[in-house]
Amino acid sequence: MEKRGIYQRYLNRFGWLCVAPSMVLFTLFMLYPILSSLYYVTRRWKGMSNTFIGLGNFVRMAKDQVFQAALGHNFLFMFVQIPLMIFLALLLATILNQGIRRFRGPFRLAIFLPAITSLVVVSVLFRVLLQANGFLNNVLINAHIIVSPIGWLNDAFWAKVTIILAVTWRWTGYNMVFFLVGLQSIDTEIYEAAEVDGASKSRQFFTITLPLLLPVILFSAVTSTSGTMQLFDEPNILTWQGGPANATMTAALYIYRQAFFVNADFGYATAMSYVVVLISGIFAVVQMRLLGERRAK
Amino acid sequence: MKKVLVFALALSMALALVPGLTAQKKLTVWCWDPNFNVYSMKQAADVYNKAHADVNIEIVDMAQDIEAKVISGLQAGGAGLPDIALFQDFRIEQFLNDYPKAFVDLKAAGVDYSKFASYKVGPMTVGKAVYGIPFDTGSTGLWLRTDYIKAAGLNPDDYMGKNLKWSDIIKLGVAVKAKTGKPLLAYQSDNFDMLRIVVQSTGGQFFKDDGSLNLQSDAFKKSLTLFKDLNDKGLLYPVVGWSDWINAINSDQSAGFLNAIWMVGSVKSRPENKGKYMVIPTPLIEGVKGAANASNNGGSSWYVFSSSANKALAVDFLKSVWATTTPDTLAFYNTILKGAGAMGCYLPSQKGSNYTANDEFFYKSQPVFKDFATWMAKVPVLKYTPNYVPMRDAVAHATLLYFQGKIKTVDETIAAAEAEYKQVMGQ
Repeated sequence: MEKRGIYQRYLNRFGWLCVAPSMVLFTLFMLYPILSSLYYVTRRWKGMSNTFIGLGNFVRMAKDQVFQAALGHNFLFMFVQIPLMIFLALLLATILNQGIRRFRGPFRLAIFLPAITSLVVVSVLFRVLLQANGFLNNVLINAHIIVSPIGWLNDAFWAKVTIILAVTWRWTGYNMVFFLVGLQSIDTEIYEAAEVDGASKSRQFFTITLPLLLPVILFSAVTSTSGTMQLFDEPNILTWQGGPANATMTAALYIYRQAFFVNADFGYATAMSYVVVLISGIFAVVQMRLLGERRAK
Repeated sequence: MKKVLVFALALSMALALVPGLTAQKKLTVWCWDPNFNVYSMKQAADVYNKAHADVNIEIVDMAQDIEAKVISGLQAGGAGLPDIALFQDFRIEQFLNDYPKAFVDLKAAGVDYSKFASYKVGPMTVGKAVYGIPFDTGSTGLWLRTDYIKAAGLNPDDYMGKNLKWSDIIKLGVAVKAKTGKPLLAYQSDNFDMLRIVVQSTGGQFFKDDGSLNLQSDAFKKSLTLFKDLNDKGLLYPVVGWSDWINAINSDQSAGFLNAIWMVGSVKSRPENKGKYMVIPTPLIEGVKGAANASNNGGSSWYVFSSSANKALAVDFLKSVWATTTPDTLAFYNTILKGAGAMGCYLPSQKGSNYTANDEFFYKSQPVFKDFATWMAKVPVLKYTPNYVPMRDAVAHATLLYFQGKIKTVDETIAAAEAEYKQVMGQ
C-alpha cells in the first residue's frame, strides 16, 4: 500500500513537471495577454497613454456602420461558403471512398494541397488571374460563357464571390480528409444490410452516411465558423484591403486596420476583438446544440 | 564525459554571445524596396564608411508591415526597434502625434533644413522641432506615350515642357482615344492617388486648420468633377493594385499616366519603352487660386528613434552623409539618382551631372530629372495631418462608387466620404 502511494505521488509530481513548461508558456503568452487585454476594452488607447471611457467603445461600435457591414460580410461568407464547402467536401470524399480506387492517393493530395500553400502567395497569384483582362476572364470569354469581362476584383458583388471561391478552394480538401476518415470508419456491413433491404444509394447516403458522419460535420462546421470569423488574408491581399470600397471588409481585417493604420486606437480594436470572440463562441455553442444532440439518441 | 561535453557546449555558446555584448559600433536601418531605398542607404553607408570604417551599418529590408512592427516596438518602449527607420511622409504625422517622444529632434542636433525642399520639411515639423531627414521626392508629371500622340495625328513637341491646363489635356485625350482607342491615363482605383495628386496641385488641403475634413472646398469639388469628366469620356483606365498598375502601363493599355518620378524605374524596366515616353508638367486646374503645374505623390524620410542605443552615431551618420555638402555626398546623391531613380530633396545636390543630363531613354533625350527637380521646387505644401489614411480610404471608396454609378452626384460623393470617415474615426 505504502509503496503504491509514494509511487503515485512520484508519478503525479513527475507528470506536473513535464507539463509545467508548457503551462508556463501558455500562461505567459496566451492567458496573460488575453486577460490583460480585457483591461483595455473600456479604454481609449492611442500612443502611449490610455483613458477610461466606460462603454464608449461599444457605443462607437453601435454607430460604426463599417464595422457592422464587416460583420455582415463575415456572416454572409459563413452562411454561403461553409455549407457549400461541406457539401463539396462530402461529395469528394464519397467519390474518393467508393468510386476512384486507382489514383486515390494523388487525387487526395491534389485536393488537399491548397490548404498548405502560403495564403499570401495564393492571394497574389489569384489577383493576377482575376484582373479584368486576366486569365479567368479570357477563358470565360473564349468559351462564350460571358460576353464582357467580369469585375472579379472591382465589383462589389463579384468581389464577394471571389472571396467565397478562394476560401472554398483552400479549405475543401482539408475538410474532405476528415470526411474520408469518417467514411472509412463506417462499417460496410451496414451498407450491405441496407442493400439487402432494398435501399437505393441515395437513400443509403442520407439515412446511413450522413447521420453517422454528423460528429465530423459538426467538427468541420465549428472550426470553419471560427476560421471564417477570423478571415483576414484573402480580403486583405486578394481583394486588397477589403475592397472594392469595403465590399469585402471583414471583422478581423477591420480590427487590424483600426489598430495599425487608421486611428491607431488599440482600445477600440480590443473591444471589437472581444465582440468577435463572443460571436464566434455563440455560433459554436449553437452548432454544438443543433448538430451534437442527435448523438444522444 | 557527457557532463564535460555539455559544459563545453554551454560555455562555447555563452562565449559566442560575448562579441554582441561588448560595445560595438553598429547601426540598424529599417526600410523597404531593395532596388530603391535599400540601395540608396547602402550607397550612403559606403560614403560614411570611408571616414568611419569601424561602423557597421546594417540595412534590413522590411516588406509590407514596417509600420505595424514599428508601432509594436514603440508600444514596447523601444524594444526591438532599429536605430533608423524610413517612414512615408503621409504617415509620419500620425506617429509624431501618437508617440511624441519616440524620435530624435534633428534640428536641435544641427541639421540645416533650409537646404531641403520646404514642402518635405512640413510633415516632420512639430512646433520648433524637426524630426527627420527628407529622402526622396514624389514630384509628379504627366507621362505620355509619344507614339500614340503621333498616331493621333498630333505633334508631341507641341506639348513638351508646356504648362498646360486640364482642358488642353482632355482635348489631347479625346483625339488619342478616337484614333488609337487607348485611354489617356491609367490609374489605381483602390487608392485614387491620381485624384489626390490633382487636389494637391491646386494648393488645396484635405483638412481644415481645426483638423476637420475640408472636402466641401472648391479645390476638391473641381478636382473630383474633372476626374469624373475624364472617366465619362473614356479617358481613364482603372487597375486594382500595384502589380496590375505596372503591368497595364508596360503592356500598352493606356497612353500615359499621371504619377511621380519614382515610376522611372518601372518605365525603364521595359526596353520597348525606349524613346516613347515624355513627361510634361502636371496640368493645371483652372479657376482655383493657388493652383500650380506641380504636385507630389509619396516620398519618404529617415527618422532616428530615441530608444536607439547609438543615437548620437545615427544622427552623425544621417547628418554627415545626407545633410552636408561635400564632394563625396554630392557624388552620393548623383549616384542614387542614376542608379535607382531616387531623387533626393537636398537642394545643393541638384546641380549634379545626373540631375541635368539628357536621358536617352526618353523621347528626344529629355532631361527628365532636371524637369522633375524644377517642378519639385513649385510643389504646393500639403498638410497630411495624423488622420490622412482614413480620409484617403473614405475618399477612394466614395469616388469608386461614384464612378461605378452607384452614387449620382459630386455632393453625394462628398457626403458618403464624410460619413465613412466619421464612422471609422468614431466621431
